[in-house]
Amino acid sequence: MIRSMPEPFSPIPGLRIEGLSRRLGERSLLADLNLEVGPGECLALLGPSGCGKTTTLRLLAGLDPASCGRILLDGDDITRQDAGKRRVAMVFQSYALYPHLSVADNLALGLRIRGMAAKERDSRIASVLELLQLGELSLRRPAQLSGGQRQRVALARALLRQPRLVLLDEPMSNLDAQLREELRPELRRLLCGREQPVVYVTHDQPEAMGMADRIAVLRDGQLQQGGSARELYERPANRFVAAFLGRPAINLWPAAAGRQLGLRPEHLRPVPAGGLPARVQRREWWGNQQLFWLESAQGELRMLLPAEQELPESLQLGWQSEHEHWFDSHSGDRLPAP
Amino acid sequence: MNPSLVNVLLMAPALVLLAIVFAWPLLDSAWLSTQASSVLTGLAPLANDGANWQRLLGDARFWQDAASTLRFAGVSVGLELGLGLAMALVLHRPGRGRGWLRALALLPWALPTTVLALGWRWIYNDPYGPLNAILKAFGMAPYGFLTTPSSTWLFTVIADVWKTTPFVALLLLAGLQSIPAELEESLVLEGASPGQILRRLTLPLLRPWISLALLFRLAQALGVFDLVQVLSRGGPAGSTESLALYAYHNAMRFLDFGYSATLVIATFLLLVLLTACGWLLLRRRPLEISR
Repeated sequence: MIRSMPEPFSPIPGLRIEGLSRRLGERSLLADLNLEVGPGECLALLGPSGCGKTTTLRLLAGLDPASCGRILLDGDDITRQDAGKRRVAMVFQSYALYPHLSVADNLALGLRIRGMAAKERDSRIASVLELLQLGELSLRRPAQLSGGQRQRVALARALLRQPRLVLLDEPMSNLDAQLREELRPELRRLLCGREQPVVYVTHDQPEAMGMADRIAVLRDGQLQQGGSARELYERPANRFVAAFLGRPAINLWPAAAGRQLGLRPEHLRPVPAGGLPARVQRREWWGNQQLFWLESAQGELRMLLPAEQELPESLQLGWQSEHEHWFDSHSGDRLPAP
Repeated sequence: MNPSLVNVLLMAPALVLLAIVFAWPLLDSAWLSTQASSVLTGLAPLANDGANWQRLLGDARFWQDAASTLRFAGVSVGLELGLGLAMALVLHRPGRGRGWLRALALLPWALPTTVLALGWRWIYNDPYGPLNAILKAFGMAPYGFLTTPSSTWLFTVIADVWKTTPFVALLLLAGLQSIPAELEESLVLEGASPGQILRRLTLPLLRPWISLALLFRLAQALGVFDLVQVLSRGGPAGSTESLALYAYHNAMRFLDFGYSATLVIATFLLLVLLTACGWLLLRRRPLEISR
C-alpha cells in the first residue's frame, strides 16, 4: 500500500489508526481501518460478532501483531512496540481479575511489576478505591464479588496505571440489562473526559449510543461508517448500518430502478387516504409506546406509535419524504433521493 | 423412606467394594503383622506379642531401606516436578503439531514399568549397551552403570524420572489450560516479563495441580517395586533395595509372612504420614477462577 509521507513533527494528541489490517492466513480479520480518537474522546466500535472489533482492540493493545498499517498514539508510532511498553490499559470482557489475589493486590500487582515505591503505590490504590467506592471490598477475592463489583475492580485496575489509551472489550456483556443501564452514566463519568482516548467495543447498539461520543460500525473487518450516533442514525452510509442501528429495525422494501427504500418504524404514520394500504397483524404494547406489525403489499412492516393511539384493522400508511433512506439494492450503498 | 437411609443404601455397593478391595486386605495385613507366620510355624498364624514390631525397630536393613526409599522418592519426585513443569509450559505453547507432541511426550508413561525397566537395563548394560557404545565411539572405556551403589541409585532415579515426568507434565498441562488466557494477557499489558508472569500468576494458580501431582507421585515413589526389581534387584549389596522390595523378599523368598506384613504396614504408615504432611503444607483455600 502506498501512502503519503506521514507528517513527522506534528505530535497530534490522541489515537490515530492508519490503514490498519490483520490477516490470518487467507482470512482477513481487519482491512484498512482508518480512525481517529481525540484525547478524552470515547469511540465505540460497534458490530456483530466476528466483525473485527475485538481484533482491532487486540491490535491496539499489542496482543496481536498488525499485518500492515500504523497505530499512532500522541504522535508516536506504537505499531511494533511491545504490549508492556505501550501504557495501554484494557478491561477484558471476563474482567481478567487475578483469582488468587485480593482486590487490593489485584490493583497493586501491576504497580509492583513496574517497581513503584510502596508509599506511592498505596496512596494511588487508596485514591482509586475511593473513586470507585471499593474501599470496603479491598480484602475480598474476585470470586466473592458480584458481577458489577468485578467490573468496577477491573476498571479501577485500568485507571490505576494512568494509561495513554483505555480499551474496553464488551465490559457490560456479563451484567444484566438493568445493571447495564445503571452503570452506563457511571462508566462515562469515570472514563470519558479524561485526557486519554477511550475505545469501547460492544455489539449492543443502545450501549454504544449511550456511552460513546462517536461510533464506528464494523462488518466483516471493514469499517462501514464512523460518526456521531445521530449522524449514523439519520444518514446511514449503507443498508447494513441502517439495519444495525435502531430497534425496532428499519423497514426496507424494494423500489423502482434497482433501489431500496428504508423507513424507520417511528416515521410511519396512519393517514386518512392516499397512502400505502396495510392491515394490522400484531401489536406489542410496551407501556411508553407500542409496536404494530403490519401486512402490506411491500411485505411485513413495523410501525412505532404512542402507547394510547388506537388503530383500525385496515389503514393507509404515510410518511414524510425527508425520512426516506434510499439504498442501492445490489451494493446496499446510500443513494440520493430520486 | 428416611432420606439418610436412602443415602446409605445408595452408597452401600461402593462402600462394600471399597471394603473388599481396600479395607479388608489392610486390616488383614495389620492383624498378620502381630502374628508369627513363617516356615517355622508351618505358615500358620501364631500370636507372638508384637515380636515382629520389636524386630522391625532393631532391623538395620529396614532402616537402611527406609532411608534409601525416602531419598529415592524425594529426589526423583523433586526432579519430576521441575522437569514436568518445564515440559508442561512447552507443551502449553500454541503451535503446529502440538497434539502429536503431547501424545509423544506421554509415551514413556504409557509403557508398562517392567518393559521400560528391561529397556533401561539394556541401555545401561556393561559392556554391550547403547550408552557404552556411545562411550566407546568417543574412545572411552566401558562404564558399569549398575555396579556401584551410588551410580546404580543415580541411574535408577534417571529411569524413574524418564518414565513419570510425562505424567506430572500432563497433570500440570491440564492445570495450565484451566487458566484463562486473558489473565496472562492482562499481566503482559502491565509490562510483566515471562518470569514475572510465571512467578506472580502461573505458579500460584497451578498450586492445586502441583500438590495433586506431588501427592500422586510421592505415594507411587514410596512404594517403588517393579523398576528396582527389574533394574538391579535392589543391588548391589542391597544398596538400592526399597521397602516394598524388602517386604516382597520376606514373603516370597524367606516365606516369613508375619514380618512381611509388618513391613507393609510400616511402609503404609510412613506413606500416610508423608502425604499428610505434603497435603497440610500445600493445602489452602481452593481457588475459584472468576469468569
